Amino acid sequence: MSERDNETWIEDLNTPGPKQEAALADLHITLLKVLPRALTRWLSPDDPALEMLVEDTAQDTLLQVLDKLDTFESRSQFTTWVYKIAVRIALTELRRKRWKDVSLDEITETSGQDTAPVFLSNREHDPESKTEQNETILHLKAIMMEELTDKQRQAMNAIVVQGMPLEEVARLMGSNRNALYKLMHDSRLRLKRRLEMEDLSIEEILEIFNR
Amino acid sequence: MKNFFKLFKHRKQTVQGPEQASMQMLLRSVAMTDEQELSCDEVYALVDQFAEMVKRGEDGSGLMPMVQKHLNMCPDCREEYEALLKMMEDSTE
Repeated sequence: MSERDNETWIEDLNTPGPKQEAALADLHITLLKVLPRALTRWLSPDDPALEMLVEDTAQDTLLQVLDKLDTFESRSQFTTWVYKIAVRIALTELRRKRWKDVSLDEITETSGQDTAPVFLSNREHDPESKTEQNETILHLKAIMMEELTDKQRQAMNAIVVQGMPLEEVARLMGSNRNALYKLMHDSRLRLKRRLEMEDLSIEEILEIFNR
Repeated sequence: MKNFFKLFKHRKQTVQGPEQASMQMLLRSVAMTDEQELSCDEVYALVDQFAEMVKRGEDGSGLMPMVQKHLNMCPDCREEYEALLKMMEDSTE
C-alpha cells in the first residue's frame, strides 16, 4: 500500500477514477487487517460472525468516509480518523445484536420504592449496621424519586445498574446517545446537588455500606 | 436474553444485595460528576486526536482533561476509544 499524507488521502479520495479507487482499496485492505483484533473482546477469532462483521464494517466505513470527507480537519492522521468511524460502526452493530431481545419494560426499575431492602449475604452484619444501611438506601431512593423524572430513573437503572450501553438504551427510549448522556449528566448533577444541600457526604454513605 | 436477566437478578438478589450494590455504583458515578462535561458527540470529534496523543506517550488526561473525564464516565465512548487504540497498535505492526 502506498504511503499517503493527509493531503494526499483527501486529494485521492476526492478524485473520481483510478486514484480514488486505489485509495479506497488501500483503506479496505487496512481495515480488514486492523479490525479483527480490535473486536476480539466481543467476538472470538474463530467466530464466523467476525469475518462478516469486519467486511460489512469495512464497506460501511468506506461509504461514510466518502460522505464525511469534507468534515475531516486533519487534527489526527487520516487513517486514525477512518478507524474512529469504523469502530463506531462495528460496536454499534455488536451492541444492537447483543441487546436486541431486551425491551423497554425490562430496563424499567421493578423494585418497589417503599420496600425495605434485604441484605441476605451480610449475615455477619450487626443489626444496627443493617438498619442504618436500609435506612440510607430508603432515603437515597426517596431522593431519586423526588429529584429525577421517570425517564431519568429508567435510564440510570439501565446504564448504571444493568450495564446496558447508552447507545441501546437511547434506541429503546427513542432518543440518541448524545441526548441520553446529557440526560444522565443532568441526573447525576441533580443528585449531587441534593446530597450537598442535605450535607450528605458520598464518602460517608459508601462507608456505611462497607460496615 | 430474558432468562439471562432473570438469572442475573436472582444471583444479585441472593448473593450481593442488589440495592446496596446498585446504590454504590450510582453514588460513585455521582461523586465523579462535574458541572461541565463534554457530550458524546464532542468527545467523538476529539477522540482520534486524543488517542494519538496517548499513543505518542503524551499526557492525554492532562492536555485534554475533559475528554479523559468523559471516557471515565461513558462506557460506550470508553469501549470505542479502547478499540481505536487497538486498531492503531495493529496498524503500526
